[in-house]
Amino acid sequence: MTTLTILRGDGEATVAAGATERATIAVDDVAAATGWELRPEGLCRGAVCVPLRDRDAVVVDDRVDLARLGEALHLPVAIDTEAGVAALGDDPVQIAASLRDRRAADFTLPTVDATPFTFSSLGRKKQLLVAWASW
Amino acid sequence: MAVALDEAAAAREWIEAANPSYPCVIDADHVVAERYGFINVPTAIWIDEDDRIVRPPDVTPVDDLFKDFTGIDSSVHHAQLGAWVREGVLPLALDEVAANQKVPSLDDHLARLHRRIGAWLHRSGRDAEAAPHFDRARALAPWDWAVQRGSMPLTGGDPFGQEFFDFAEAWAAAGSPGYSWGNAILRRERNEGS
Repeated sequence: MTTLTILRGDGEATVAAGATERATIAVDDVAAATGWELRPEGLCRGAVCVPLRDRDAVVVDDRVDLARLGEALHLPVAIDTEAGVAALGDDPVQIAASLRDRRAADFTLPTVDATPFTFSSLGRKKQLLVAWASW
Repeated sequence: MAVALDEAAAAREWIEAANPSYPCVIDADHVVAERYGFINVPTAIWIDEDDRIVRPPDVTPVDDLFKDFTGIDSSVHHAQLGAWVREGVLPLALDEVAANQKVPSLDDHLARLHRRIGAWLHRSGRDAEAAPHFDRARALAPWDWAVQRGSMPLTGGDPFGQEFFDFAEAWAAAGSPGYSWGNAILRRERNEGS
């Protein structure tokens, strides 16, 4: 069985790929793969639900079309069905609003020894965040 | 804390040599760049006790190794940092912080997604499949150093070689797009102080 790996900034999930040329995810796998769950009221994450205006375009044969999920949620998506991989971005509008309000985004990333570290665990004190690279 | 926009294998020797007392994480997919809206390293961001950004991200050398190239004297940032920590004095008014905060465009976001796919395929040794994604990322974000220079180690390029110098020259000729207040302020203060 071929697979589709969905990359999100803070993790990835690999699920069974659909039989069509489009990138689709079984309804039962959608929450694990995208962070969004398909419910009668729409696509939901936590308490937030986004109604689906054209549910039949998003959900076909009990599979969610990833590109159309992106359109419905206004999330950027890049898809390579031949390679079996896709990337789903965060909401650009929310990121922009957060930055305009000067809100510091939290993140959880691995240390070099692959131990997850969450920025907010440093607590409320002055923080200097320095991004660097070997390149 | 430090965030390496790098593969863990490439960052490891630097982290082990520095043996930092502060946390250091690996951001191979540029998540922090995405959420804070910056395009190059080294970048410094100041965050206060209320989780608010009080110095927007911009290129901020931590030492003077590349001073001749950047024209930036690291002591200016160090002095600003000291004044903030000790006296709560900020180099920019808060409305200026917001005004100087870069907000990524949709193309910037899409570039990062294609770069993520390219890097993921590269890590699996699938470079032929990765190549079109790196190309797409470069086309979408032509002046994002993290996309351009930061992809060179993953695509057989040399981030300190001719490919980089060609990019840097074209970027400078285009008016240094993407750099904002930090360079201007640090250079101005340096000139006033000299």
